[in-house]
Amino acid sequence: MEKTIESGDLLDVKDLYVNFYTYAGVVEAIDGVSLLLKQGETLGLVGETGCGKSVTSLSIIVLVPPPGTIEKGDILLNAGDKAINLLKQNDRTLMNIRGKDISMVFQDPRGALNPVYTVTQQVGEALLLHRREEMCKRVLQNLERDIPEANTLKRFIYNCEKKIYEKMMNKPKSPSLRTLSKIPIINRYQGRLRNEIRKEVVELLRIMKIADPERVVDMYPHELSGGMAQRVVIAMALSCNPRLLLADEPTTNLDVTIQAQILLLIRELKEKMKSSILYVTHDLGVVAEICDRVAVMYAGNVVEVADTFTIFKKPSHPYTQDLLAAIPRPGKEFKSIRGEVPALISPPKGCRYHPRCSKAMPTCALVKPQVAEIEKGHLVMCHLYKR
Amino acid sequence: MGMRAYIIRRLLLLIPTIIGVTLLIFSVVQVLSPEQRAALYITSEQQADDIDAIIEKYHLRDPVYIQYFVWITQVLQGNLGYNVKSPSGRVLQNIINRAPATIELTIIAAPVIILSGIALGVTSAVHRDKLIDHVTRVTSIIGWSFPSFWLGILLLAIFYAALGWVGPGRLNPDASVFIITPPFTRYTKLNTIDGLLNGQLWITVDALKHLILPVASLTVQSIALIVRVMRSSMLEALTKGYIVSARAKGLGQKEVINKHARRNALIPVVTLAGMLSAGLLTGVVITETIFSIPGLGSYAAHMALPPPDIAGVLGFTLFTGVLFVIVNLIVDVAYAYIDPRIRLG
Repeated sequence: MEKTIESGDLLDVKDLYVNFYTYAGVVEAIDGVSLLLKQGETLGLVGETGCGKSVTSLSIIVLVPPPGTIEKGDILLNAGDKAINLLKQNDRTLMNIRGKDISMVFQDPRGALNPVYTVTQQVGEALLLHRREEMCKRVLQNLERDIPEANTLKRFIYNCEKKIYEKMMNKPKSPSLRTLSKIPIINRYQGRLRNEIRKEVVELLRIMKIADPERVVDMYPHELSGGMAQRVVIAMALSCNPRLLLADEPTTNLDVTIQAQILLLIRELKEKMKSSILYVTHDLGVVAEICDRVAVMYAGNVVEVADTFTIFKKPSHPYTQDLLAAIPRPGKEFKSIRGEVPALISPPKGCRYHPRCSKAMPTCALVKPQVAEIEKGHLVMCHLYKR
Repeated sequence: MGMRAYIIRRLLLLIPTIIGVTLLIFSVVQVLSPEQRAALYITSEQQADDIDAIIEKYHLRDPVYIQYFVWITQVLQGNLGYNVKSPSGRVLQNIINRAPATIELTIIAAPVIILSGIALGVTSAVHRDKLIDHVTRVTSIIGWSFPSFWLGILLLAIFYAALGWVGPGRLNPDASVFIITPPFTRYTKLNTIDGLLNGQLWITVDALKHLILPVASLTVQSIALIVRVMRSSMLEALTKGYIVSARAKGLGQKEVINKHARRNALIPVVTLAGMLSAGLLTGVVITETIFSIPGLGSYAAHMALPPPDIAGVLGFTLFTGVLFVIVNLIVDVAYAYIDPRIRLG
């Protein structure tokens, strides 16, 4: 059966189940999550540590680490005229989608950069994968410009290079090119592409507001500060103008001033690039700052979805209410949620929040609640609200 | 840029290190009496009657620093002393004569160890807990528990005694005669290469055939070691964040493994590979003895057997020390090449 997606929607996650098969038992990390992301919006995904936020975002890019397995569900991505179900694609297609349509920014920027490669090498990798043609075109333009001015010998070399680059654009995987690239001296022609990529990376870093990008491109990750490293990671993610950016707690490991700068940067870039963002965080302050809508997760379930204003003004699920009450505020008594996050190896029956819920009823422990739309666009998964 | 400065700094460090090595070796020899130390410079029986003259000539009774200075001058001039035991003559010349057999063994064994060790380790890690991983692991444990002398004897028993395919030594008897008869020229004294240079392919083939068994008995244990180190370091690298981020960029499995994981995982293996290669070069005493290969290892063993030949032992120790210092340098440069963080400090 062909699944469809509405034109205004970018991503539709339907009834996703992810299990982790550990030695201790099966961990039901994601238990029927559904999410809808509209074109150009920022959706915040909030919840406590271990509630499945990161696994949800990794599922969207189909990189759930073993022993995690996506059990069932659909992840539909709007691809112009049709919907692509990401969970039904082969590796090749997924590799084309990753980095180009969907890219990801990670929590630990230093960990996300390979210590043995320079910034250009790592950011350039994505460019080479997804924007190769564009880069080759630029090289060809440069060659067109240079050829008339060159002397005979140089003109001959340039013409050869032109042929190679034309081939590179049309048939990047031809065996003759592959052989050519391995012959010393002759493979110097790659220098032009490398230069072009370096220029583009400098440009990207400039957009990320990194000071002195000409110098930073040749640095190794250990030479970067935490904030710079995160900017480089964001540059890497945005290098191919993705339609969806998965930001997995990108500011958690940074100090507060840098955090604010990075948030500002993400908001600006979003306006500029018209990407949608799935912003995973446990920080409600950040959510208020940049998200259009919010999905609250608890123990592998999305318990409430609403626009940001509604979530803060009129939280409806008891968990959301408790979560907001737990934000420390001056002059107000600090209330923490009683009990602990359940181990998902044996999650509570019925509503997973019922052991900690102050409004729990007898049914809560028996029946898993359905999602109810209490207002337009305001979804709550709780027995207090009837469909 | 950083790389060049690093290499220069490392080369400059080579000088004090080598001086340190010579000082250490020199001080060990000071345990001996001047008369015993004079044995180093005795070339003939007539000289043995006039030891005092030699002691006088080489300042063997003078203060230690003068002795060191005299000795190091001799060493720098290429005089490592004279062997009394056979092969008699200048120690340096004997070491040079013995080196080709060991070098030939090493230039085949070292790449076999390093390349197959790394390849198997990576495969094992990538297919963790699959059949191929279990097979590799079990084989490497078995290989690791095979002492090389035992394996050498076993191989000889099978392929020489039982099957008669290939014997000990570097060449078959007729080939050994052929290479010392003109017009065969021994350009490099490496039989495999000389065979090619003289256009005598059968010499090369014969030399290679004779190398199979010693190389096998030398490599099994070392390969097992490298496989185990490579596997665990690869497994660690594969859990790192940059692996997920490389995949998220859209890279395929092959690039992620070969480009991102392997380079990081190589760092501990480089040290190990360097040490193993140096060990091979300084002569694998037992293997060379079992296969009667006239290399450095069998030379050292022969010199050390009682009554020891002081000049030979000393010369070999010096040679080994300097070689290890150089191998360390190569390892350090390889490190810096692989990991940019090392270029800093």
